[in-house]
Amino acid sequence: MIQLLQTANNNSIMVQDGKIYLVMTIVSIILIGLFIYVASVDKKISNLEK
Amino acid sequence: MLRAKWWKILSFVLLLYTCTYGFIVQVPKLDDRMQQSIRNFFFHVPMWFGMMILLLVSLIYAVKYLRNANPIHDIYSYSFASMGLVYGTLGIITGAVWANYQWGSPWVGDPKQNGAAIALLIYFAYFVLRGSLVDMEKRARLSAVYNIFSFFMLFPTLWILPRLTESLHPGGQGSEGNPGINGKDMTASMRTVFYPAVIGWTLLGVWIATINIRIQILKLKKEGFL
Repeated sequence: MIQLLQTANNNSIMVQDGKIYLVMTIVSIILIGLFIYVASVDKKISNLEK
Repeated sequence: MLRAKWWKILSFVLLLYTCTYGFIVQVPKLDDRMQQSIRNFFFHVPMWFGMMILLLVSLIYAVKYLRNANPIHDIYSYSFASMGLVYGTLGIITGAVWANYQWGSPWVGDPKQNGAAIALLIYFAYFVLRGSLVDMEKRARLSAVYNIFSFFMLFPTLWILPRLTESLHPGGQGSEGNPGINGKDMTASMRTVFYPAVIGWTLLGVWIATINIRIQILKLKKEGFL
C-alpha cells in the first residue's frame, strides 16, 4: 500500500517546488478538521438552546 | 447574529484561501535571513490584528455593562477578552519561534516583544480578578472597570513605547514609525492574501467567542439567573 502511494505520487505536483504543496495540503487538512470540529460544537449548542 | 451562518462560512473560505494561496503567492526576497518566512505575515501578524479587534469588542461590552448592568454584556465582554488572549498567546508563541530563526533567540528583549508580554500579563490579571470574586454582580462590575484599564494599557505597551526605540520588528528602524509591520515590505500580491487572512482569522476568533458566549448564557439560565 505504501509502495503504491509512493509510485503514484512520484511524479505528482506534491513533490514539486521543494514539496511546498505537501505542506499546503497538510495545513489545509488541519484547517478543515478544525472547522468541522468548531461547526459541530456550534451545532451541539444550538440543540441545547432549543 | 450569533447563529447566522454566512460569516462563519466566509471565515472558512478566507482561511482556506490563506492556507493555500498563502504558500504559493509570490513574496519579495527581503534578505537572506527572511527568505520564505515572510509568509508568516499571513499567520503571525493576523493573530495580533485579531487580538486587538477582539479586545476592542470586549471593551465595548465592558462599557455597555457599566451603563446598564445587563449580565449578558458581561458574558460578551469576558468571552471576547478570553478569545483575544488566546490569539495574543498564539501570537507571542509564534513570534518566539520565528524570532529564534530570524533574530537568533526566542526572546531577544525586542521592545515590541516586551510590550506585548506586558500587555498580555495585564490582561491575564483580568481573569485572576474574575476568578477571585464570587458575587456575580461585583465580579461583572469590577472586571468591566479593570477591562477598560487593561485595554488602555495597550496604548503604551503595544502602540507607543515600541515606537520610541529601535526594534527588530520590521518598520522599527529609527524613524520608520511602526514597530509592528513595515507596509513597504508587503507587495501588492502579498496584500491579496494578508487582508483576507486578517478578516478570516478575526472571524474565526469571533465564532469561537460566540460559542463561549452561548455556553455561558446556557449556564446562567440553568442556574436560574436569566
